[in-house]
Amino acid sequence: MAAEAKIFGKVQTAEQEHEDPTEQLMFDPRPREEMNRMVMEMMTTTTKKFWLFFFGLGGGVVVLLFGAWGYMISTGMWVTGLHRPIYWGVFIVTFVFWIGISHAGTFVSAILRVFKSEFRRPFTRAAELMTTFGLAAGALYPLIHLGRVWVFYFMVPYPNARWLWPNFRSPLVWDLLAITTYLLSSTIYLFLPLVPDLAMARDRTTGIRHMAYKILALGWRGTEAEWFRLKKAIQIFAFAIIPVMFSVHTIVSWDFAVSQVAGWHSTIFGPYFIVGAILSGVAAVVTILFVLRSTLKHMDYFLRPEHFDALGKLLLVFSFAWGYFFFNDYLLGWYGGEAAVRQLLTAHASGPAAWIWYTMLICNIGIPWLTLWNRKIRRTPWLMFIITLLINVGMYAERFTIIPLTLGHQRTPFDWGVYTPRPIELAIVLGTFCLFAFLYLVMSRLIPLVPVWEVQEGQVAHTLRKVGKAEIPTVTDLE
Amino acid sequence: MYSKVVHMALFKEEQIDHAAEAITRLRSLGIPDRDISVISGIPYSERILDRPMSWTRVGLIGLAGAVAGFIIALLFAFGTPFLYPLRVADMPIFFPIPTSIVVVFEITMLGLLISTFIGVFVETISPSYGPKGYHPKVSDGNIAVLFSGPMDLDEKFHSTFAELGATLEHDVEEEKLWL
Repeated sequence: MAAEAKIFGKVQTAEQEHEDPTEQLMFDPRPREEMNRMVMEMMTTTTKKFWLFFFGLGGGVVVLLFGAWGYMISTGMWVTGLHRPIYWGVFIVTFVFWIGISHAGTFVSAILRVFKSEFRRPFTRAAELMTTFGLAAGALYPLIHLGRVWVFYFMVPYPNARWLWPNFRSPLVWDLLAITTYLLSSTIYLFLPLVPDLAMARDRTTGIRHMAYKILALGWRGTEAEWFRLKKAIQIFAFAIIPVMFSVHTIVSWDFAVSQVAGWHSTIFGPYFIVGAILSGVAAVVTILFVLRSTLKHMDYFLRPEHFDALGKLLLVFSFAWGYFFFNDYLLGWYGGEAAVRQLLTAHASGPAAWIWYTMLICNIGIPWLTLWNRKIRRTPWLMFIITLLINVGMYAERFTIIPLTLGHQRTPFDWGVYTPRPIELAIVLGTFCLFAFLYLVMSRLIPLVPVWEVQEGQVAHTLRKVGKAEIPTVTDLE
Repeated sequence: MYSKVVHMALFKEEQIDHAAEAITRLRSLGIPDRDISVISGIPYSERILDRPMSWTRVGLIGLAGAVAGFIIALLFAFGTPFLYPLRVADMPIFFPIPTSIVVVFEITMLGLLISTFIGVFVETISPSYGPKGYHPKVSDGNIAVLFSGPMDLDEKFHSTFAELGATLEHDVEEEKLWL
């Protein structure tokens, strides 16, 4: 008789407890030729819906982002809701949001690669792409926020007659350096593992596409030396990009923490921001994976409930960590005894904008803790889509609480203020969301979104090994 | 001395053991390792195929880039206060530590990562040794063993590879895969 276990009153046999291994991508191999064909079909299939989104999002970028930004440049910053004492509004909130989102690509791809987590294989590229485009969208905000964008070159170190040399002791210059470093390195990190797949696309296309892939594939043949070099470079990147990722959001947090503003001047801001960034980034990966799975042909073969399950567990861990850091930050502010900080915390929890603070707590702690412990929920993609969307609503609310709500309630009560974003600001913010989605949409038809060689490598490395009466999933290190 | 005619033996993706065996047999037929190369759709380590270790200077180039980045960062972080003295709060002008650590770290990492990529790029487009040739089936997961050997061994090659289930192509020409 099979071993039985009683879970929540239901009797399960040992066979029922363990899923069929072929439900996992690594144990359900298909010939490489077929996987290549599936990926190429994803890239070359365009439906009416695709073009509708293409023109809709493209129009959104032109009108909402560039149109509204152009209008703001021509009229001046007074069209925004920024006023004394709140000079950092939704532009900076959204900047922090995008930079946070961009952490997921590196986290999923680099950290999971370093730790050899096998479930990462089919979606590393989707996450890396998110990093690149998230950074591209985020990097626009320092320029937008600048107002007089035509003088952005003041930040660039070059000799000039006016002695305008960047102050390298300023966190804003650190921001410029860190974001530039991260954007360049994450773009290269996206490109390197793409080369063998571009060669695959080169072998299957004609005309302009073939020419483009031929150039981008750098003459890839798949020799031993090429693989060795590629693996070495990916390894260097995977290790080196992790501290860069940590530095980027730490520096973003220092934009706030090095000031004397009550509620910002906190030593825990660095790790608190990083944990928040990874939470929102991993949540965004799940959101995007759901969209890809639902809209791209054959994607359901590559992205399976097991992947949502694994990412759901990660989300739960990071939600715990975020709660821990939030509690630390809150406790010391509250117990520290500084009147301004106490008043600020009271204002956050009971002031007119308290709903934002509660939204943050519900979405970042309440919802993940109540749902993600459940395996069935984690393995239901549409539920994960809703949960992760809500987590990002919560993370946006967190940044809104930290920035304008904190700036509006400082030490001198006669200088308190309320910030309400104006339509022009909301249009620009919406415009960058359109930009991100538009770039992603276009890229989904230009590059293979699934790293086929990595999937096949994983499938070759996974076998079922008979131990006693059972067949146990086993993974071999091909290196 | 024989004329360098390149042959290609194509194995299906599940025939990795046969590909490794083919290399052993080629060696026993007198074909040295330098006249054999393997191309595949996924990375197989040298140990799996019993091949000599590959080498790359990518790591060294990356290190050189990191050193260059470090020097540039020092110039920015420590040269700037000398050229453009700017008093911020009560911080010393000519000793910008710890603030400069951030700048030094970022530019060093930028140097490391960019030069690693440049290393990959330069090595990829540089001429390589060993038999050349390509088959699109490689990106479909097939494993190609390329080797140059004397024509008088043709029969032996045929019988060996037929026994191992590979298809053999003779006089494979180098295809121009890049610019």
